[in-house]
Amino acid sequence: MRHGTRPGVLLTALLLAMGVALLGCPKRPDLSQAGPAAVGPAAVGPAAVGPAAVGPAAVVAPRPRVGEPLVTRPTPPAEAAVQPIPGAPGAAVPAASPLKDVFFDFDKADIREDQKAALNHNVGWLKASARVKITVEGHCDERGTAEYNLGLGERRAKAVKDYLVDARIAADRIATISYGKERPFVLGHDESAWKWNRRGHFVISGH
Amino acid sequence: MQKLRWAAVCVILVALMGWPSSAGAQVIERELRERIVPKITIAVAGFAPFVMHGEDLGKLGASVLIADLRFTTVFDVMDPGTLPFEPRTVQLDQERPLFPGLNSLKVQQLAVGQVSSRGRETVVEGRLFDVAAGNMIFGKRYVGDPKFYRLMIHRFADDIMFHLTGEKGVAQTRIAFVSTVSRTAKEIFVMDYDGANPVAHTGNQSINLSPRWSPDGRMIAYTSYRNGNPDLFVLNIDSVRRDVLSAQRGLNATPAWSPDGQWLVFAMSAGGGTNLFLIPKGGGTPKALTTGPPISVSPSFSPNGRQIVFNSDRGGSPQIYVMDVDGTNLQRVTFQGNYNSSPRWSPRGEKIVFMCRLAGNQICLINPDGTGLQQLTSLGSNEDPSWSPDGRHIVFTSTRMGHRDIFVMHADGTEQTRITSTGQDNYLPDWSP
Repeated sequence: MRHGTRPGVLLTALLLAMGVALLGCPKRPDLSQAGPAAVGPAAVGPAAVGPAAVGPAAVVAPRPRVGEPLVTRPTPPAEAAVQPIPGAPGAAVPAASPLKDVFFDFDKADIREDQKAALNHNVGWLKASARVKITVEGHCDERGTAEYNLGLGERRAKAVKDYLVDARIAADRIATISYGKERPFVLGHDESAWKWNRRGHFVISGH
Repeated sequence: MQKLRWAAVCVILVALMGWPSSAGAQVIERELRERIVPKITIAVAGFAPFVMHGEDLGKLGASVLIADLRFTTVFDVMDPGTLPFEPRTVQLDQERPLFPGLNSLKVQQLAVGQVSSRGRETVVEGRLFDVAAGNMIFGKRYVGDPKFYRLMIHRFADDIMFHLTGEKGVAQTRIAFVSTVSRTAKEIFVMDYDGANPVAHTGNQSINLSPRWSPDGRMIAYTSYRNGNPDLFVLNIDSVRRDVLSAQRGLNATPAWSPDGQWLVFAMSAGGGTNLFLIPKGGGTPKALTTGPPISVSPSFSPNGRQIVFNSDRGGSPQIYVMDVDGTNLQRVTFQGNYNSSPRWSPRGEKIVFMCRLAGNQICLINPDGTGLQQLTSLGSNEDPSWSPDGRHIVFTSTRMGHRDIFVMHADGTEQTRITSTGQDNYLPDWSP
């Protein structure tokens, strides 16, 4: 068993988070003017003329027109740090979750040897908390296509579930869902981010 | 909404002078013209200043019309500065004295527009002249609410395209896409083909993916996580009615409409792997087209409705495959590269566009038989290609300018142009019929 490596992984994650927070990402423009103020005549302004002439000002905050709640473009978060994904408890502070994420190789859904310690930890916790139900989320890095990654995330989530079921956790306690590459854990465009985004993430869904 | 939109642009034929006596004869086989027939040289004039709410609609109209005509790849549009007269001083009925000067520049066609108001409506008078013959080819009056002004100009452009080539233009088409509106919300939007007028069609604050226009342009199928699971929805744009087509546990994703609009194929993960299923558009029992543990996603019908191209990793890596619509006769199309994805069959059936991984994620073309691989892009990471209905253009996603944004290009890879820039990700575009 390799429980000893787990704190190291977490420490690395935190350091990575701090590093990304401090360095930021110079590529992204200031988004503060992308709010609702951009709605209006600009939509038909000269800047919005055909494809050849469309400049950065061409697309404005759209107006919703359907029965669902209004869509606005709130000022987006500055690109920094490890993004704690709302709705994914445990993501913000990994150490706070009793269940550990597991990570995958590119375009793979096999459970890596170095991830079994985390999974075995989760098995132990689930056995001790027999009434808890969980959802395993399958996630992917940004390199694959959005649609293929839906399938890959599904396969990862099911691989994690299979491991748990093999370890005698009741299958009806475990739901799976794929988010493809739609909810990255870490924003970034290289392996230092990607390796955290190819993951199976555990969410406690009921007691 | 859609009905209103069309009703608002009522078109009145004002003149039939010089109507082409042999419209059919002008419908030349397209490949032939592309190879042999040179571009049609056209000048745009008129569009005298007409200011509404501080904006010169004349100037806007001329620039939209010029951009539309250039984008067709059919026209060689004269730069206004090279004309032997000041184009915006040209009034209706004053066109004929311009013909000799245009003739000497070998300008074949002259499009003239004039903007005015009638009550609350905006009126665009559009005329097209054959310079050499000295005839008016058509004259039309486009009338509508000022908010449809760009659409009126697009319609004039499509009318010019149709009268001179017999082909339906794409200036009035639209592009559906996914836009990130907050850290967790990705909504379906529809914009004009040139990036103007984006409008949200979902607003559920969850993840909405893979919009696909029905062949009649009235519905959009898409996947939404609004109920906590990626379910398949069909939205009727006119009535804003939203139906759940499939909500099996797991994926109900990546839909494709059959060319007759009666069926959808989509990926479902209930059971073993992620497999493709055929379902009637009104719902019913899905019929499996693929089986087993591999991933099969992103289907696209051949234009004759007999075959489906899709993405699968059944050979060990994501590759492009073709099968008959009943799931038989499976054939692998791509062999070069270890990651080929997101295929779309061209409207005339002769090509498949897809994401190829050749020095990064690029957009490639290939013949359905696996020959003729051609790389179209080289900058940034590119994915999600989709054809314009006339097959002359491709819309796709690229990260070359930072965020994922929607780009359009000609089908030969030229003129790659960004059409979204909200400062957040815009992706998964689908070009309307």
